[in-house]
Amino acid sequence: MTRIRKIREILSALFMIALAALIIYSPSEGYYLIIVLLAVIFLMRGVSTLIYYITMARYMVGGRMILFSGIIMLDLGILTGTLTDVPHYYILLYLFAIHAFSGLVEILRAREAAGYGGSWKFKVFQGLTDILVATLCIINIRNMNAAAVIYAAGMIYSAVLRIMSVFRRTKFIYIQ
Amino acid sequence: MQADFHYYATYSAAALAGFSHDECMKICYGAQLVDLCSRSFLNALSAPPEAATTMLRLELMDALTDYAGLCSITRIWSSFHFLPRDLYAKRNGSRRYMNKYRLICGPDGPLVSDTVENAKGQGEEAIGIAMHVIADTWAHAYFAGTPSLVINNTTDDFYEIVCDEAGEHEEKINFRHRPTGEDDIEGRQFTNSLYQRGEHSVMNLGHGRAGHLPDYSYITYRYMPAWADYRVVVKDNPSDYLKAFGQMIHAMRYLRGEIPSFEVGAYEPEAIAPYEEKIRSILCRRQLIASDDWKEFGEALTGEHIEDFDLDKYRDGYINAAGSEKDSTYLGRFFSAATRHKGMVCSRISEAGIPLVGNIMVHPALGNITVHPALGKLAERAVERREAGKR
Repeated sequence: MTRIRKIREILSALFMIALAALIIYSPSEGYYLIIVLLAVIFLMRGVSTLIYYITMARYMVGGRMILFSGIIMLDLGILTGTLTDVPHYYILLYLFAIHAFSGLVEILRAREAAGYGGSWKFKVFQGLTDILVATLCIINIRNMNAAAVIYAAGMIYSAVLRIMSVFRRTKFIYIQ
Repeated sequence: MQADFHYYATYSAAALAGFSHDECMKICYGAQLVDLCSRSFLNALSAPPEAATTMLRLELMDALTDYAGLCSITRIWSSFHFLPRDLYAKRNGSRRYMNKYRLICGPDGPLVSDTVENAKGQGEEAIGIAMHVIADTWAHAYFAGTPSLVINNTTDDFYEIVCDEAGEHEEKINFRHRPTGEDDIEGRQFTNSLYQRGEHSVMNLGHGRAGHLPDYSYITYRYMPAWADYRVVVKDNPSDYLKAFGQMIHAMRYLRGEIPSFEVGAYEPEAIAPYEEKIRSILCRRQLIASDDWKEFGEALTGEHIEDFDLDKYRDGYINAAGSEKDSTYLGRFFSAATRHKGMVCSRISEAGIPLVGNIMVHPALGNITVHPALGKLAERAVERREAGKR
């Protein structure tokens, strides 16, 4: 990973943590912040998809579909930005699906690792944590603040992973 | 390719190259182990994770596809299963696109020679690894060992080219997404990976979008890959597999010291000729795996029994060896050979200006590759640690 890329990753992770802290500090306003954030994410994704089309996908068979999806994503971002009253349980259902799936994969991975005699306890722990979060999403489906707090916790988790990936080794030592 | 070719056919090729039964067994074991030496396997042995030669399905699902994750995936799959054919290939495309395009696998490229040279004098384990890599350049041609939608995606139009009493005709191949279900040869129903629009999705790694078609020796088919500017590609597996078999014999004759040099494009037709009819009948038989046929063929060649592959065969030898002696066990030598091969391929990719394998650090002892001064000290320290471990 280049130095510039490392700095960029760390800065974006710190920004995510700051935003998450803000959401946790004030969940009711934080909820609207999440809507704005989603709009920005869609817009950025739209732009990056268009860049991807120009630099990569225009050389591939059927690449024009990427162009169309970039434009749709951009539209979706603009649309989301105009909404002020999206039912919060959509966000909770989205979080539920993500965490339940991740938890299931972690537990399957633990089973696989155990089959090879490798370490499995940490993976089981990660899987159970994900499933616990998914359960919390369902339990708190009527609570608007919960959506904001769980979303913020997810942001912190992603930010920490991002920082960790900066320090992961990409060097490969080749000794003859 | 599958165990039928990597294990039993490799045994037969080694026998035809002049190796003894015991040597053949070690070679084919190494060739097959490449498909099973995952991080999970290495963790259980407390072996170095850098020696991983494959990733299990769930390891892939779990893998991060950020830059570091992509490098890790590409190092493994490009080195052992999708050896790039031409790292300096030219066509119209942005630099970002060309970094992926140049990783497309194919046979008879310069890296095939490098792979064989790298295994010279390194023992049967290294020969086994080299044979796996060579064989896969034929089976996995036209796909890249890195997650990439723009390279590895295909259209849905796959047709089997069938030659029978009715003459040559085409039959439509259909795909479904049932990872646990078995492919249906007669119904032409095969499992492939789901279409994922993300460039770096692991669903877009290697030949996932074409299912296991590249791994079946009997099939000839045509399809349209994403990278080929709307041109149709015909993949003639029986013919390619025969060439792979011949090239393995040629490479192993060289590695045995029987011939002075290894040449790409040499497939030892004289060595194959007496058995060609039998080999073609095995390759063309419509079946999911041809292990029984290849086993019978191999046993007829040497008159010895070929034991079935057992992943635990050398496990205790490695675990019970003292720290300094682990490197001299079968698995220890396999791990060293795998790391050496991976390093060679990744350094070639890195030298070609392709950043998808991370920073490659080459120890000066290698001699022929320049070492970045900033990396030299780290390499020295790694060698010191290794030497200290041996003492």
